[in-house]
Amino acid sequence: MKLDRVLAISKKNLKSLRRDKRTFAFIFMVPFMMMLLFGYTFGGEVKDLKVYIVNLDEGAPVGSLSWDIINELNSTETMNIVDIYTAKDIALDPVNHSIDKVKNAEAWGTIVFGKNFTNETLANFFLLAHGQQFEPSNLELHLDGTNPNVANALYASVNVAIQQVLKDKYGATPAVAVEKDMVYGENTQFIDFFAPGIMGLAGLLVTFMLTIVTFVRERSSSTLERLLTTPATEGEIVSGYAISFGILALAQSSVILVTGVLLFNIQIEGSFLLALLVIFLLGVGSMGMGLLLSSVAKNELQAVQFIPLVFIPSILLGGIFWPIEAIPELLRPISSFIPLSYAVDGARSVMIRGWGIDQIWWQVTVLTLFAIVMLVLSTYMLKRRK
Amino acid sequence: MADSKGSSDSGDDAVSTEKLRKEYDDLVAVRDLDLRIKKGVLYGMIGPNGSGKTTMIKVLMGLLKPTSGSGYILGERVPLKKNIARIGYMPQEMAVYNDLSIHENLQLFAELYSVKKEIFAKRERELIEMVDLVERRDSAVSQLSGGMRHRVSLACTLIHDPEVLFLDEPTVGVDPELRVGFWDYFSKLRQKGKTIIMTTHYMDEAVRCDVVGMMRGGKLIAEGSPAELMRATSAKNLEDAFLSYSREGKA
Repeated sequence: MKLDRVLAISKKNLKSLRRDKRTFAFIFMVPFMMMLLFGYTFGGEVKDLKVYIVNLDEGAPVGSLSWDIINELNSTETMNIVDIYTAKDIALDPVNHSIDKVKNAEAWGTIVFGKNFTNETLANFFLLAHGQQFEPSNLELHLDGTNPNVANALYASVNVAIQQVLKDKYGATPAVAVEKDMVYGENTQFIDFFAPGIMGLAGLLVTFMLTIVTFVRERSSSTLERLLTTPATEGEIVSGYAISFGILALAQSSVILVTGVLLFNIQIEGSFLLALLVIFLLGVGSMGMGLLLSSVAKNELQAVQFIPLVFIPSILLGGIFWPIEAIPELLRPISSFIPLSYAVDGARSVMIRGWGIDQIWWQVTVLTLFAIVMLVLSTYMLKRRK
Repeated sequence: MADSKGSSDSGDDAVSTEKLRKEYDDLVAVRDLDLRIKKGVLYGMIGPNGSGKTTMIKVLMGLLKPTSGSGYILGERVPLKKNIARIGYMPQEMAVYNDLSIHENLQLFAELYSVKKEIFAKRERELIEMVDLVERRDSAVSQLSGGMRHRVSLACTLIHDPEVLFLDEPTVGVDPELRVGFWDYFSKLRQKGKTIIMTTHYMDEAVRCDVVGMMRGGKLIAEGSPAELMRATSAKNLEDAFLSYSREGKA
């Protein structure tokens, strides 16, 4: 492989774009418009969120308010209670154990009922009935605020369940203070959550679309034939494409980040470059996928038909707007096969949770493999002669 | 007819094939072709559309896989690896990048062939003059007429000074005056010892070739110098000679 030739192909692609003003504008306008549109209009519902519960409540002779609340929470669609720890599990250090689950992004939240939760609440009812001052009983909620919609949904759901139980049982207003602790994303707004999603989506779509259309044109205008009769190998041609479109994916991500920071004040907790690396890998892989699919498209129109095929599952199942847990269970396994979901998850963990490469190595590995497999397969398809 | 026997990679041959065959489903595009083209020869392949000329070139260029048989260029069996930079190919379609300028197209192919910068500058000037596009050097190819694009395509084929040239209908869409210029250039290339294999529909061009091969239905039905072919069929021109061989073949 000769770098000069690889760079010659890359330069050719970038120079071609310079003259094609419409496509050039498209590359930069699409992510900007997407960011603007979604930024101002989007709002979503979430459900089936993984939570851990630690119930240390000893209850009272009349029963346990905490179990009533847990049963109420269990009956809602918002939560998916993974496990409930009680005083019996004290050897486990259940509170810290459950908070760690949130720290490792294995759950969206942990609810902790204190030892005297029922007793304190009942005592407060008595004080309330006699018009006396009281300190509300405490319930701790440890949340991952990476997605503010999720955090708000969990917070609201716990409050609703408390109100429901107290009203049903005692017909009174609650005397419980839900103490919220944000494990991540103290000041996260929804835009912070979906900016990495839009970066990923733009990185995927534009590189994929450009490659598939450019490559079908290379085939139909016989320039590919001409390239293949030069000393440039198939691997060099694919690498040249990968570099040029990878650069475009990076440029787009930068537009999104700058727009996000300047107009919407989005936060970037971790390394800006690491977030870009994730998008670069996705861009290179998407380029390979475009190249691969271009070999089955006979003309530009056929190529365009592949776009919704990639676009729809990615946008719905890639975790851009709602967490994977919030999509129907039947469809969830599909998201493991959607490269965008790894890129979005990786970029989001870097930007909001402030994670480093040691914590997103899995996403980086999957995306690297995706890029390598796509490049190898597309090189193979180019090598195949009829 | 070409001698189909003997070593296919003999030192004198620029191009040779042995029972080269290319089939598509139920169509035989090239039928057991035995061809020997000596170095330094200007070889013209004539025949109607669909006679297998372009398919033959594409197989030799390694763009299509032969169904059976083999082809050799400068002693190396196709698909080429070692000799690929010694070959120039001009496809029938214009095959240039419309969004790049003439200069950028030439630069791209020069870089792909690792042509040194100083040599590129000289060759670029020479070729742009030859194709009469000096003033349009920095224009995007998309702004050029069809004939001009064809000329750019030829210049791209020649930028690395190849020893063997495969030109698939190089003068289609080129005006008569410029065709004369092209032919002068081809003559110069031949004088320099280059081998040129071209397909053409123009009989007045075929007459100027050293050797003419006539193809029909994927078969080489006749081969020789234009004078030999006309003499053998008592024809006044190559067109009549072709028709005569064609009838013979059918009979």
